[in-house]
Amino acid sequence: MKSYLFLLLLFPFAGGLILAVVGRYLPRRIAEWIACSSVLGSLLMAILAFGAAGGKRYLLTLLEWIRVGDFSASMSVYYDPLAAIMALMVTFVSSLIHLYSVSFMRNDRDYVRYFSYMNLFVFSMLVIILADNLVFLYLGWEGVGFCSYILIGFWYSDVVNATAGRKAFILTRIGDVALGVAIALFFLLLDQFSIFAINAKAPSLSVGTATLLGLLLFWGAVGKSAQLPLVVWLPDAMAGPTPVSALIHAATMVTAGAYLLMRLFPIIALSPTTLLTIATVAAFTGLFSALAALGQKDIKRILAYSTISQVSYMFLGVGAGDVAAGMYHLLSHAFFKALLFLGAGCIIQALHEEHDIFKMGNLRRRLPVVFWLFLAGALSLAAIPPFGGFFSKDRILLSTFSHPEPIYKVLALIGEIGAVITVLYTFRMFFVAFLDRPSVPEGFEKKDLKIPKFMGWVNLPLAILALLAATLNLPGSFGGNEWLAHYMASLPGGVPPYSAPSGLEWMMEIGSGLLNIGLLVVAYLLYRPPIRERLHKLLFSGFYLDRLYQIALVEPYQKLAKVFWLNIDEGVVDNRFDAAGNTFRSFSFGLQRWTTGRLSTYLKMLFLGFTAIVSALALGWYYLR
Amino acid sequence: MVPYGNLLLLAFTLFLMGAVCAVARRNLLMILIGVEIMLNAAGMAFVGASLKWQLLDGQAFVLFIFAVAASEVAIGLALIVYSRRRTGSVDADHYNLMKG
Repeated sequence: MKSYLFLLLLFPFAGGLILAVVGRYLPRRIAEWIACSSVLGSLLMAILAFGAAGGKRYLLTLLEWIRVGDFSASMSVYYDPLAAIMALMVTFVSSLIHLYSVSFMRNDRDYVRYFSYMNLFVFSMLVIILADNLVFLYLGWEGVGFCSYILIGFWYSDVVNATAGRKAFILTRIGDVALGVAIALFFLLLDQFSIFAINAKAPSLSVGTATLLGLLLFWGAVGKSAQLPLVVWLPDAMAGPTPVSALIHAATMVTAGAYLLMRLFPIIALSPTTLLTIATVAAFTGLFSALAALGQKDIKRILAYSTISQVSYMFLGVGAGDVAAGMYHLLSHAFFKALLFLGAGCIIQALHEEHDIFKMGNLRRRLPVVFWLFLAGALSLAAIPPFGGFFSKDRILLSTFSHPEPIYKVLALIGEIGAVITVLYTFRMFFVAFLDRPSVPEGFEKKDLKIPKFMGWVNLPLAILALLAATLNLPGSFGGNEWLAHYMASLPGGVPPYSAPSGLEWMMEIGSGLLNIGLLVVAYLLYRPPIRERLHKLLFSGFYLDRLYQIALVEPYQKLAKVFWLNIDEGVVDNRFDAAGNTFRSFSFGLQRWTTGRLSTYLKMLFLGFTAIVSALALGWYYLR
Repeated sequence: MVPYGNLLLLAFTLFLMGAVCAVARRNLLMILIGVEIMLNAAGMAFVGASLKWQLLDGQAFVLFIFAVAASEVAIGLALIVYSRRRTGSVDADHYNLMKG
């Protein structure tokens, strides 16, 4: 077991390291082979570990790391059903995305840098998933942030991309600070960095302390998962290559925040305030970003806002106390969102870097493979029964609805509205981009739409999984056996705290199923003619949140920085230093005149000085005797 | 017996003459001679002190001064000869490579 987990982490790390050090000297095929095989090896190890564990938990120390006095941090892993499923998902999705990248990056000369950071990212992500020690987890946490920053700004010669990378880095850092504080507090309060031990000791904490810790953890998760108010970095993060967006900013990294909360659920669950905060923020983020997605033109930005919205459902699941539901949605989301992004990557490359869906059209005929794949992804994202996201999203909303606090009913309603809008924006994108339109831009038909066949076919496993994700945890009322829920039942929060009557469950499933199908028709009717201009503008800019931050935070900050720069730094500090320097300068110019280079002058000075010293000594001796 | 004060006065005069010679003259040879005179003035003060307190330490010191003076002259003269060959001058003011 230990060797499986060790190799699981080692493969991508070694792959990244080899590529970074000697990748440039290897032939292209071999470098690509190393990158893919290290992740595939990781996937194999994840499967073997999953089989060997069989639902049991393991707490293993892989390596000693730091040990100073009481403080000790080791590279230890805590392998429980949650980590097992997450590791499987991450290695699976990233294997496919690595294979896809080989095709996608075929004309890029920087493929070594790309693959080494991708491998390093997979390693860091696996560290987050497996780590037992919070310091070790923080290493992975910062590692994914760093890789994300590097890969967003991958085409750094364009300033916009580099700025987007910086923006993502700084905004996620705002969250990371809170996580750092939380880790320090854990050590202070419980003398522990181990997640296992912290969860075991959690009941000894007072509710106030647990609220503080929970909110700090949540704030850290908000930064990483781009929830309100730190959403603005994710849409800009689409500046990176599309497989990067698929892997990091859709399937894995952005779900790390939700995963962290699931991992430390006993702490979160202690405080109703924290749970309510999480659920409220999640519900509003979901609605907000679904509306914003409705107004975007750029296909990747639509998907980015939809990612924010879908991640917020996972948070809503955690906030409602149903970790299994959150995890269920996390899995199905990972499959369909990676699928949608990779499909979008095919489209963008086929259309020569065209992102605007209104400049696409007729793609059903031009790219038939991508059409079917994208359709699978869109059906799952829009939660059309009985595909992918339908059951997972419904279970979250059901858990939220059956929470005894009345406020949760409102949150469930907001979540349902968000889900309805999801159908609209998904199929708006789908219909506009793929269906025949009379107003296709000129010259479009003549464009050569060639992409490697492999880029389409590699998505097939994702499409199958996206469509069939429902079977992972099919509710009993539909003849399923809720495999995932049973698998996770031993975990804290694995069993929903408030079970809904089966009548309600039926009603909700049928109701939202019909609603979603109905809206699919509405979307079809709606998105042939152009939509209204003003509403569109508001939604397009993501409710001007970027602009608000610009005015409220960035500009005062810049002005303050300017004052500090001109008046304080240059005016006071620099000038004082200059004045001091000038004094010494003139002093040494005076001294310079004495260095005549004449021997006799030096001798004279020597005698004068010597005489002065001797006279002083003589006088002192005379008077002090 | 000559009083020690007179002897010190003589040594002081001699030292001053040597110092002035070393400082004022421009010729390297004369500077070297000035230094020699200063060394001997110091030696005279030591001999006088040795007589006054009837201790042999002062005379022993003079022997050391002789040795220092001899070696100084040997090396100093060699340096002067060499410098003269290099620059064609024994004027101290011509050696101004150290000017800052």
